[in-house]
Amino acid sequence: MNRRTFLLGAFAGTAAIALGVNLYSPEFSLPDEGEEKDYRLLFGVLLPVMLDGALPDVATHKQAAQNRTLDAIKQSIAGLPDEQQAELFELLDMLENRLGLLLLTSSMTPLLMRSPSDLTQMLETWRHSYFALLQTAYLGLRELVMASYYACPEHWSRLHYAKPELFK
Amino acid sequence: MAIIDPIVTGLNSGWLHTDASQLQENQQFEADVVIVGTGAGGGVAAEILSQAGLSVIMIEAGPLKSSSDFNMEERVAYPNLYQQAAAMKTADKAIGIFQGRAVGGSTTINWTTSIRTPKEALAFWAQHKSVAGLDPDALAPWFEQMEQRLNIHEWNYEPNRNNGALKQGCINLGWDYTVIKRNVAGCWNTGYCGMGCPVNAKQSMLVTTIPTALEKGAQLFSRAKVVKIEHHNGQVFALKAQALDVNLRPTSVELLFKAKHYILSAGAIHTPTLMMRSDVPDPYQLLGKRTFLHPTVLSGGVFADAINAHSGAPQSIYSDEFVWKNGADGELGYKLEVPPVHPILIASKTLGYGASHAELMAQFNQLQVTIALIRDGYHPDSQGGQVHLTSTGFALDYPLSEAFWRAARRAYASMAELQFSAGALKVLPISDGMPYLSSWKEAKESIAQMDLAPLRTIVASAHVMGGCPFGEDEKLSMVNSYGQSHYLDNLSVMDGSIFPTSLGANPQLSIYGITARNATALAQKLTDGREPQ
Repeated sequence: MNRRTFLLGAFAGTAAIALGVNLYSPEFSLPDEGEEKDYRLLFGVLLPVMLDGALPDVATHKQAAQNRTLDAIKQSIAGLPDEQQAELFELLDMLENRLGLLLLTSSMTPLLMRSPSDLTQMLETWRHSYFALLQTAYLGLRELVMASYYACPEHWSRLHYAKPELFK
Repeated sequence: MAIIDPIVTGLNSGWLHTDASQLQENQQFEADVVIVGTGAGGGVAAEILSQAGLSVIMIEAGPLKSSSDFNMEERVAYPNLYQQAAAMKTADKAIGIFQGRAVGGSTTINWTTSIRTPKEALAFWAQHKSVAGLDPDALAPWFEQMEQRLNIHEWNYEPNRNNGALKQGCINLGWDYTVIKRNVAGCWNTGYCGMGCPVNAKQSMLVTTIPTALEKGAQLFSRAKVVKIEHHNGQVFALKAQALDVNLRPTSVELLFKAKHYILSAGAIHTPTLMMRSDVPDPYQLLGKRTFLHPTVLSGGVFADAINAHSGAPQSIYSDEFVWKNGADGELGYKLEVPPVHPILIASKTLGYGASHAELMAQFNQLQVTIALIRDGYHPDSQGGQVHLTSTGFALDYPLSEAFWRAARRAYASMAELQFSAGALKVLPISDGMPYLSSWKEAKESIAQMDLAPLRTIVASAHVMGGCPFGEDEKLSMVNSYGQSHYLDNLSVMDGSIFPTSLGANPQLSIYGITARNATALAQKLTDGREPQ
C-alpha cells in the first residue's frame, strides 16, 4: 500500500514542529476488503455536536437519525475515490489514536471521554486555525457529516423539502 | 404517465454498446475515428462524423445511465454521474469542482444554460492568443446549427423565485439582465437538471447526438478509461484503455483502440492529463497550464416568504452587468447567476455546524442564493491553475490571486446589494466569520472589511476550461484553431480544454458551436469530400 502523506507528511513540517513532539508516523493503509472499519464510535461522538439543532428532540428519534446518518456516512465514504478515502481514513485513524489526538487536538483524552463543549472547542480550534491542515480536517469532517445527514430523505421534513412525485 | 427511456429503447433495438466492466479478456477495436469522452465536445463530434459516413467509436470512463436511473436524489446522482462523487477539489482543497462523469459528460448534469461565446472573449483570443477565424460572424452559423439541433431557446416562462429575485434586483437597480436560453424540449420545470433529467427533456448529449451516432452504427464503450496515447513519428497509432468495474476501479482487462483519426474530448482536466501521461510533444510546456475555473463565490439571502429555490428551471436569468465592465484584461469581472438549492448542495456549501447551521437549513425554503462566476484568464494576475500528474492520477493547483480576491469582494457587495434590493430580510456572504447582514448599508461596510481566504471563503466551480489551448502560434497553443494537434497529424482536441482563457459565460454552447465547426472540417478532410453514406 502507498504511504499516504495528507496529514502525516504535512505534520512533519508544520504542526509537529509547532507542537514540539517527535512524530512517529506508522505506515497507513486502506482497510482490506472484509476488514470493515466504519468509525461509528468516533462519528457517534461527533454527530450530536455537529448536528446540534438539526437532530430531532425526541430521544428515540434522535438516536434513529444518528444511526441513519452513520449508515449514510459509510455509504458516502464508499463513494469517494481511493485517494480521498485514504486521506479521510488517515484523519479518522489519528482521531482514534492517542498520539494522533495529541497532534490534532493537543490532548490525548479520547474523544469519547470529552464533553460536547470540549468537542466544540476542538472543532472551533481547527476551523479558525492558521494551519491549512487543521482547517482541511475540519472542512473534510464537516462536509462529510452534513452531506450524509442531508442525503437522507428521512431528514428533509425539517426543511419542508420533498422531491416531486413524477411517476404516480 | 410512463416515461419512455430512449437509451433503453435504443439498446433494445441493437445499438452497439459495451459496458467494459463486463469484459473478461483483453480486446482490440478499430474504427475510422475514435473519440475519448462523450460530453459536449465528444457527443457533437460523434454525431457529425458518423453522419458523414465515418465509423466512430466513443469511449467514456463513466457509466451509461439514463432517465430510468435518475431518481432526483443527490445521494444517487453524485456518485453515479459526477467526477469523484461531486467531491472533487483543487489540490489545496480550497475550490470544490462539479464535473460530470457518465455518458453525456457534464451535459447530463448541467443546468441547461446556453450562451454563445462572448464577443469580448473571441476578440481577446484573436488579438492575444493567435486564434484564427473565430469571430462572432464566422461562428454564428455554427451556433445557429447547434441551437436548432439542441432546441436551445429562451425560457419563456415565469422564472422560479430564485431567478425571479435576481431579475427583480436587476430591474430595481437598473442593472443588465438577460433571459437565459435553455436546451430543453418539453421541460417539466421541476428543477432537477443537476441530477440527470428524469423526463428526457434536457437536450443533453445523452439523448441527442449520442443516440444519433449510435443509430448510424457508432459504437459506445462505457466504463472504459483511456490511459495512454500510443504515438510515434508524429502519428497516433493506438489508444490504450483500462476497463473499469462497476465502482469505476480498474479491472485487469485492457482494451486497444485503433483508428485513422483520434479525438480527445475528455474535458479540461482529463484531456491534458492524458496527453501529459502519454508524453505527447509539448515543446513549450503548455499542457495542463492555464486551467480556468470561473471560480465562484456565493451569497445567501433570506426572504420573508418562500423562495423554493429547488423548484423550477434552475437557471433562467443572468446578469452581465459586471462581466466586462473593466475591459477584458482589466479588473476581473463576474457574471451573476443563481444555482438550484438542494439539501446536500447547500448543506455542504454553507458554513459552520451545530445550531447556526441548523438555523440556516431551517430557512431552506426562504433561502435565495446568488452566485458570482469570476472571469479568469484575462488579467495579468489571473493565470489560472495547473494540472500535475501524480502517482495515482492528477492534482489541480489553482492559486487564488489577489486579483481574484478583489473581484470576490466586489462580487459579494454586488450580490448583497442585489438581494436587498429584491427584498431580502438578511444576507449572508458565504465566507467563514461573516454574520447575517441586515441592510445594504451594513453589508457595504462589513463586506469592505471582511476577511477572505482559501478554506474560509467557499469557492466552487462547475466550468473547467483550458489546459490544451488552441491557436496558430505554437508558443501559445497545442492545437490549431480547428483543434488539430500541432505535433500529431491524426489527433484533434474538441472540448473545453482548448479555450485559452475562461469564457465569462457558461461553456456548453461554446463547446457545441466550435466543435460543430471543427468536426465538420475534420469530416470533410477524412472523407475527402465524399458524400455521406
